Amino acid sequence: MNTLIHTTDVVVLTYFLALNTFYALLLVLAIPEIWEQTRLAEDEDFQRLMQSDALPPITILVPAYNESATIETSVTAILTLEYRNFEIVVVNDGSKDDTMERLRQAFELYEVPRTYAETIPTQPLRAVYRSRTRTRLLVIDKENGGKADSLNAAINASRFPLVIAVDADTLIEPDALLRLTRPFLLGARIAAVGGTVRVANSCVVKDGRVTDARVPRRFIPGIQVVEYLRAFLFGRLGWNRLGGSLVISGAFGLFRKDYLHAIGGYSISSIVEDLDLVVRLHRHLQRNKIRYEILFIPDPVAWTEVPESGRILSRQRERWHRGLIAAMWQYKGMLGNPRYGRVGLIAMPFFAFGEMLAPVVEVLGYGITILGLAYGAIDASFALLFLLVAWGYGMLLSIWAVVLDEVSFRRYGRLGDIVRLLLYAMLETFGYRQRTVWWRLKAFAGVWKRRQVWGEMVRKGFATPS
Amino acid sequence: MTSRQFLVIVAIAQGVLLLALITLIMLNRWVRVRRSAKVDPRRIELDAVMQRWVLGQADAGTVADALGLLPMTFIIDALVTWSARVPGERWRELSGRLEHRWWGRVMRGNSRSARWWKRLDCARFLAVAATSHDTGRLLRLLRDTHPAVQLAAATTLERLDSPLLVAAALDQLPQLGPTVQAYYASVLKRSRPAVLRHLMQLFRRLDDPRLPRIIEFAGRLNEPVLREPFTTLATHLDAEVRTQVARALGKFPHRESVAALSYLAHDDAWPVRAQAVRSLGMIADPTTLSAVRDGLRDAEWWVRLRAGLALTRFGPPGRAVLLAAEVGADPAARDMAALILGLSSQALAEYAA
Repeated sequence: MNTLIHTTDVVVLTYFLALNTFYALLLVLAIPEIWEQTRLAEDEDFQRLMQSDALPPITILVPAYNESATIETSVTAILTLEYRNFEIVVVNDGSKDDTMERLRQAFELYEVPRTYAETIPTQPLRAVYRSRTRTRLLVIDKENGGKADSLNAAINASRFPLVIAVDADTLIEPDALLRLTRPFLLGARIAAVGGTVRVANSCVVKDGRVTDARVPRRFIPGIQVVEYLRAFLFGRLGWNRLGGSLVISGAFGLFRKDYLHAIGGYSISSIVEDLDLVVRLHRHLQRNKIRYEILFIPDPVAWTEVPESGRILSRQRERWHRGLIAAMWQYKGMLGNPRYGRVGLIAMPFFAFGEMLAPVVEVLGYGITILGLAYGAIDASFALLFLLVAWGYGMLLSIWAVVLDEVSFRRYGRLGDIVRLLLYAMLETFGYRQRTVWWRLKAFAGVWKRRQVWGEMVRKGFATPS
Repeated sequence: MTSRQFLVIVAIAQGVLLLALITLIMLNRWVRVRRSAKVDPRRIELDAVMQRWVLGQADAGTVADALGLLPMTFIIDALVTWSARVPGERWRELSGRLEHRWWGRVMRGNSRSARWWKRLDCARFLAVAATSHDTGRLLRLLRDTHPAVQLAAATTLERLDSPLLVAAALDQLPQLGPTVQAYYASVLKRSRPAVLRHLMQLFRRLDDPRLPRIIEFAGRLNEPVLREPFTTLATHLDAEVRTQVARALGKFPHRESVAALSYLAHDDAWPVRAQAVRSLGMIADPTTLSAVRDGLRDAEWWVRLRAGLALTRFGPPGRAVLLAAEVGADPAARDMAALILGLSSQALAEYAA
């Protein structure tokens, strides 16, 4: 028994060391990247260029399913973005609530014939509408087919070469589109660009705009602020230097439409369509030896409402992890495959072993520590010290993300908010982290049972300043 | 060292780092507050001096002195902001004064820096303060490896009339994305004669792979002198060149453009046909109605769509063609005509855009 405990112990420790070394690497790589991006974001010539007629036209794809509470605010906010040439394609995915009716009334919709080819097959369309008041708006009403199907319907209807998928519950900052196009101006090989998604809960929202960024006082949404900062500000920035991330947030990512056509659009069988799309995009471009970059830039910001209850959060996290497992399984041929360059050799192994298997190894670590203590194979003070170091490391990464935000974009102006962020970063390790591990473990069981259902997200809406 | 000792050291290091990070956050806030308290009054003072200078109540030397009190990045920002408000002659006077200031020399020296952001600062500074002595530096910056530096340097072309710089910018064009090309087209407006001269030379290189991009750029200039070379290139072997020619010719309602477009409307490549019928719609010459009507029966959906939309620009004769097609024998033309006739005027206007 002692040998088993010892061997497992060594495996867990090695995994811990390797994973954290990699995180440290991401952290180090994020520093020059944020410095570079901050310099470019402040360049006024760019801002001038971005306000010129030279900007590429963009189609904003907005899938909506039961978004009655937020749809009007979201679409109005998108319509007033600071960008010269864009159109919005809202797809009502057979909502069971009055989403379509709200759209029809708010924007004075009238039916028009379909004037485009169905390049990517989707569920049947019920009708296509234009607005009498907003010429940039096109609304598609279709049979329910899921988010990916809605996005494909919107891609079919889009007229412009760049498309951005935006969740209906997401508030985009007025200059976010201008900023998001920056890499397309700087590099001819850009295939996709992702921006930062931040937590809107507790922020003051006026006319569909976040006018005052606040850190929620409630623990669950508050801790997600730290999680989002960590995921975006150093995770994805670090990946820019390692050959590109596998994730461009489904809530806020700009893509070249011709590449999306080439890969057949979003996969309707995937439950995490953004991850699936980016992996397929990498695969297609690598296989065809097309030189490309998939980048994340931190200054364009979109705000989203995150779950406020543990029950809804658990469903969301379980779904995300289920999607990750499914994607890793589906694209296992890319794992460690030199044909796919750094994506196959670095990103895929990291996501498979570092992200997908992390909860399994963590639980194994907890289990083996308890067993070891019971059998006297592990010294109690040593185990406690190890736990302290492991948790301390997680805490440091979170605080580092807060530091990156503070020295670059400083979205949270009040000292009280910063103190709360630091507090959440420290408390995350105690209880919350273990809960997320449990939710992610449940995802393995979900995959085993081949569950594909989406968790239902209950929206409060942004209309009332909180 | 035992593993326990190692963990103790790591734990202590983490504790120290944690404290350092929290201190960094607080220190960063404090430094920013102090800095803005120091710099803000100087910026306000500079704005006042600039205002007096614009009204002729202060000389350029006073402005240069006030600028010298600010950190480098603030100097550039202030110059960029004010350059748009001051007439060219007066601004050139200020640019001349800045050339001899020590910070102006430091800024110019950055053109050779190994760090791209320093070169960017230099390019941004020169974009508003370059003199004829800076041509060499600007040539280097236009050919810089960092695209942000290239873009900033290209902005100089709005202010500085130099055939050398124009030629360098035009040589860069084919490597640039369409958006940046469009931006170059806007900054090169001032140097139009030099641009046109260089473009005429480039058009003669028929086997140059950069030709489609050059034509695309030239088309944006809307320059009547270019119509003739465009017409000549309508028979080029490369379909991409012909597509760009078809696009560009739509802006020139001339007998020869119409003849070239009518020829291109029967091209083998569908993108050329689609573009040609679209351009014929833009010119809306009644003699080309039959060519556009043929487009409505094209095998390719996009050509049919473009032809249908083009017909709406011919007025009543075009509408009559669509109405006839709607009840005609060709099913593809019938569907497209029905679709186009069902579009609202608003939708048609959006397609035209």
